[in-house]
Amino acid sequence: MMGEIPLDGRRAARWWRRLAAMTQKEVLQLGRDLPLLVFLLYSFSLSVYISGVGITMQLRNAELLVHDGDHSLSSRELIHRFQPPYFRFKEEVANPREGLRQLDEGAAMVLLDIPPRFHEALAAGESTAVQLLVDTTNAPQGLSAASYGLRIAGQFGSEAGLGSLGLSAPYAAVPMVTSAHRVWFNPNQDETWFQSISHMLRMITVFAVLLPAVALVREKERGTVEQLLVSPLSPFQIMLSKVLAMTAVILICTAIAVYGVLRPLFHVPMKGSAWVFFLLTALHIFTTAGLGLVAATVTRNQAQVGMMTLFVVGPMMMLSGLNSPYESMPGWVQTVMAFSPLRYYIDITYGVLLKGAGFDVLWKPVVTMVLLGGGLFGFGMWRFRRQFE
Amino acid sequence: MNLRRIKAVALKEWKETTRDRLFLLLAFLLPALWMLVFGYGLVLDVEDIPFAVLDQDHTAMSREYSYRFIQSRYFSYRGHVDDPRALDRLLTKTTIRAALIIPERFEEQLAAGEPVSVQTLLDGTFPLHADIAKGYVIAINQAFTQDLLVDYVSRTRGLAREQGRRIVQPLTVEVRYLYNEEVRSTWSMVPALVMFTLMVASPLLTALSVVREKETGSIYNIYSSTLSRGEFLAGKILPYAAISLVNVWVLWLMAVLVFHVPFKGSLLFFFVGSMLFVFCSAGIGLLVSLLVSTQMAALIITMVVAMLPTILFSGLLVPVSSLGRGAQLQAHFFPAMYYTNIVRGSFLKGVDARVLWLDMAALAVFAIGMGLIAYRLFTKRPNA
Repeated sequence: MMGEIPLDGRRAARWWRRLAAMTQKEVLQLGRDLPLLVFLLYSFSLSVYISGVGITMQLRNAELLVHDGDHSLSSRELIHRFQPPYFRFKEEVANPREGLRQLDEGAAMVLLDIPPRFHEALAAGESTAVQLLVDTTNAPQGLSAASYGLRIAGQFGSEAGLGSLGLSAPYAAVPMVTSAHRVWFNPNQDETWFQSISHMLRMITVFAVLLPAVALVREKERGTVEQLLVSPLSPFQIMLSKVLAMTAVILICTAIAVYGVLRPLFHVPMKGSAWVFFLLTALHIFTTAGLGLVAATVTRNQAQVGMMTLFVVGPMMMLSGLNSPYESMPGWVQTVMAFSPLRYYIDITYGVLLKGAGFDVLWKPVVTMVLLGGGLFGFGMWRFRRQFE
Repeated sequence: MNLRRIKAVALKEWKETTRDRLFLLLAFLLPALWMLVFGYGLVLDVEDIPFAVLDQDHTAMSREYSYRFIQSRYFSYRGHVDDPRALDRLLTKTTIRAALIIPERFEEQLAAGEPVSVQTLLDGTFPLHADIAKGYVIAINQAFTQDLLVDYVSRTRGLAREQGRRIVQPLTVEVRYLYNEEVRSTWSMVPALVMFTLMVASPLLTALSVVREKETGSIYNIYSSTLSRGEFLAGKILPYAAISLVNVWVLWLMAVLVFHVPFKGSLLFFFVGSMLFVFCSAGIGLLVSLLVSTQMAALIITMVVAMLPTILFSGLLVPVSSLGRGAQLQAHFFPAMYYTNIVRGSFLKGVDARVLWLDMAALAVFAIGMGLIAYRLFTKRPNA
């Protein structure tokens, strides 16, 4: 494929000039589509901002209902421990039935039911039980709420137990293992960073698949590709120019997102080198564009290519590791997603921005992505040639 | 509104669609395939967190302690290291996401009845996962501490172990999971996936319907015909809404038969809701198609508008109530959230119009509102 780039001076200059002319044509054509431009700009600025500010996947403000059958010191103390940011005390209900009705309506997420004689039992060193009813229509959030609830009640119970032995916090002379956590790379666990960066990655990926794919199919649909093929351009130049133009446009948009939103507004660090980040972003766009080009060669019109790319982009978005941890996914998903450039690009982006990683650490995903991109591009090329020669 | 003319437009649109074999195939295949892939593949439980251990104590007790992590299904053991700097490198390379550092004199201090603090390092790049991992660590530590305390109390006070256990932890918590009793993430995912696939796939079907005619110029036939605006729009949306309605049935059957999600609610309510939603989502594609002048712009804008808010603001992954204020506001301006309530409510909770009438009303308002906007936007006398 690369063998066709001429090496001797004049022919090489001509080859590159033609490529540049084609690339310029693509950029111009995109530049004249005003609604699309406005939308591109929105996608990399305002929408990155909104998702950074607005989305938290951690359990926040789970609405808590309480049925307190005891109304004692202990029961109030336990209720008091269900605090923001995880829980928000909504109200006390007169009976559990009323609480269940509210859960049905989705007006609350958790119902804590404290039995009568709660305080008495604890003071006497007897065992007692509270009930926690959790809405698990959203399973991860429900589980999360239950686990916080268990943690809070467990802590409360063991303090009450030790209290009945005459021991109280801080426990200097009790054998126990306490947890000290250090969270690296994002010490405040600021989800703004994660969500805004993730959103930017999603945008880059959608545009990297779609723009070149549609640009190529459009020429096929209108028949202008025949004109290009009888011109002194090679199929390789035709394909490459589209990818180059779109890569340039998306890189500029990425720079807008990074220097217009992420850095100044959210103070996302750039621990590694910015050059490495943009170079690898270009590689990601190039590789992802390869997927789009393959889709473009199996379709005839833009409606088809739209469905086809959706087919590819959907699973990439959902399963590459932006929504759920890659390590926890089933084996077959991990195998299939090995073909998703986004999966490597996620590690690269967080590595460079937050962890300060360079090529010495990232060489593995980088090499994989180069191979993947080369393979996809080569395959697309092969199909494209076969269709027109 | 002349029914015969609507039928003519719809029929023309339908023929155009059915003659494009690949498009037709994808229109039906995509929702079903997505359902299978995401239903089985999209696992939101955080498990198998890769971690390493730095054991500075090297005693029987420190080994027993680290075993609790190694045996847990939440963690996946990636080996011991001897040097704190090695942990640094492994975390940066994302080989591990958590590390456990057991201090020197771990056994000695615990045996002497003193508390010990164990440090865990967590990779915070994904704050949600770091938070969940933290929860797992705390839970394991609580369980380990409880066993230590039972030993300690029964030894120092001369009690039986059973009695010691009751004293150390007098409070039990009975957790009852409602609506999804076994907390299967498929049960909560699959109904939401019905929403997701419809929301993303159906706008794309209509997105090109008008703009294609603009690009090829065949729209001028419409401008010069006796066809009214309303008839044209109705004819454009009906065939695609029909395809999506078939997909609703397919997705419903898959949810019930393939994923065995219980359907506790009313079928009538569900299908009325679905019909309104299909018109809303197909309407989004139609609106975009009316607004732009190239197919490329229509495709890209529709895809981004349909996909991203649906992933983020529809309640698919995050309940709308825990979103920030701005995002909550945005969620309310988008039909997906209401339909998520209807689907999840119908499948898992068995509630119907008595509880969810507001969501249903909102969808109806969206459907009508979008129809009106489309009617205003489309003009047979363009000034260009």
